[in-house]
Order: sequence, then structure tokens, then C-alpha cells
Amino acid sequence: MKLYRTREGAVTAVNSKSQLTTVGSETAPGPLLVPTGVRSLKAVIMAVACDLATAADGAWLIRLEGPGLPEGPEAITAGASGAQVATGGSYANRAIRVELDVPVTPSNEILIFGENTGEDSGTTTLGVTLEFA
Amino acid sequence: MSRTITVAGDVNAVDTRVLLAGQGSVSAPSLVVPSGMTKIRKIIAAASHDGAADDGAALFFLRLGGNAVQNGEQTIVFAGAGNQSVQSGSDAAPNVMVPFVLEDADIEVKPSDTISIAAELAGVDIGDTAVIVTLIYGK
Repeated sequence: MKLYRTREGAVTAVNSKSQLTTVGSETAPGPLLVPTGVRSLKAVIMAVACDLATAADGAWLIRLEGPGLPEGPEAITAGASGAQVATGGSYANRAIRVELDVPVTPSNEILIFGENTGEDSGTTTLGVTLEFA
Repeated sequence: MSRTITVAGDVNAVDTRVLLAGQGSVSAPSLVVPSGMTKIRKIIAAASHDGAADDGAALFFLRLGGNAVQNGEQTIVFAGAGNQSVQSGSDAAPNVMVPFVLEDADIEVKPSDTISIAAELAGVDIGDTAVIVTLIYGK
């Protein structure tokens, strides 16, 4: 049995972590607690959406923190993009899934952050699904 | 043995839950989990957008729920898309997405109960979108 929990949010500044706290139409889903009965974070699924509003190149990562991760925080590459001009960019990408096996503590919170490194890529929406088992 | 269900729908606004209930020429396919099927083994999902909005940056995710899904609603991100300016004529770029495939999804379901398959956009409006999802059931 696997359980899937998602958070998303905007990442708008370079080298500044932004907590992902919403789930689309759910604007206040509350803390993401590790479900009872699971022992491991088996994978993360990530998708990045950028408006390409700058002629720049940037990359994104996610940070997982909080008492739900007894071994400490994790940081994982989520994607990268660039545009030559700030007027015409357009794209669509499927999500990526990264297999992990990170111990977790049930009923404790995991905080999910997104971050833009490199140059400012414009306004970005970052979504992360945690896959527990 | 495995069985499948495919549904599709238009998701044209951010932060709005849209039930995917149609299947092309079949307007109302059965959403009852087939007898004997106890898990969603695999999920295939894809989306396209027309880019008809400036400054778009949105991601797509699924909500799997209903009486058939055990252990509560499951939410799964499956794509992201963006566009800067609405384009026209020969400079209009296509937005093509290879389907996202979640192998070994391992989501428990209850046979003969109804599943709810919804999709949602989050972030900044990217125009109109079309979403299609296949669930592959197994034991």
C-alpha cells in the first residue's frame, strides 16, 4: 500500500526557499503529516511550471525538512529551464519521479520548500507529491 | 489480470477541481471498480494547453477519491506547463507532452465501489487545457 500527499506553491525569488503549502483549490490543507502506518518516503514526484518571463537560465530544487524526517533534511533537483528572449517562451513537461528510501516518523510534519537557483527564471509554480509506504 | 479505465476532460481554470467523467465518444463510462480488482497498479496521465494566457505557470495534479479509494483521497502531481506571451501565426509554439506514467502506484481500492477521478490546475492560468488519465487496475 502506498499513500500520496501533495503540496504546491509559488517560487518567485532566486536563492530563497518558499514553503509549498497549498493544494490547488485547497488553500489551507494544514500541515503535511506523515501518515500512520508508513515507515519510508519511497519517492517524490515533482513538476515545475515557469512563465519564462526573463531572458535567463535557472534551476529548481526542493527541500524536505521537519520532524517527520528523523535523519534530517533532504534536497533534490526538480528541473531547469532558460529562454533567449522574455517574450515567446512556451512549454509543457511531464512530472518526474525520483525513488528514495528515506525513514520517516508517522504523525510528524514534513515541510516542503521550493527554490530557484542560478538566474531568475520568472514566476514559477512548483508541485511536489510525497509517496509513502 | 488487469483492467483499465480512461477518462478525459477540460480543465480551464486554476484552483478548480474538475471531475473527469467522459471518454471521448463515450460520454459516461462506468467508474465502478471492476469485480476482483483491489489495487490501482499504474497511472498514465497527460495534458495539453493552448497557451492562451500571458504569464502562465501552472502544474497539473490528480485527485483520486470516492468510496472505492481506501485510506483517503490521493493527490498526485503529473505535469507542469508555462508560457510567457500569447502567440499567433507561424511563431506559435506547440505544447507537446509525453504522458507521465506512474509504475507500481499500489493504491488500494474496493471492487464494485465507485472511484472519483478529478484533475486540477494550480498556479497561474495557462489558458485552456485537455487532460486524459488511465488507471490500470490489478490485484
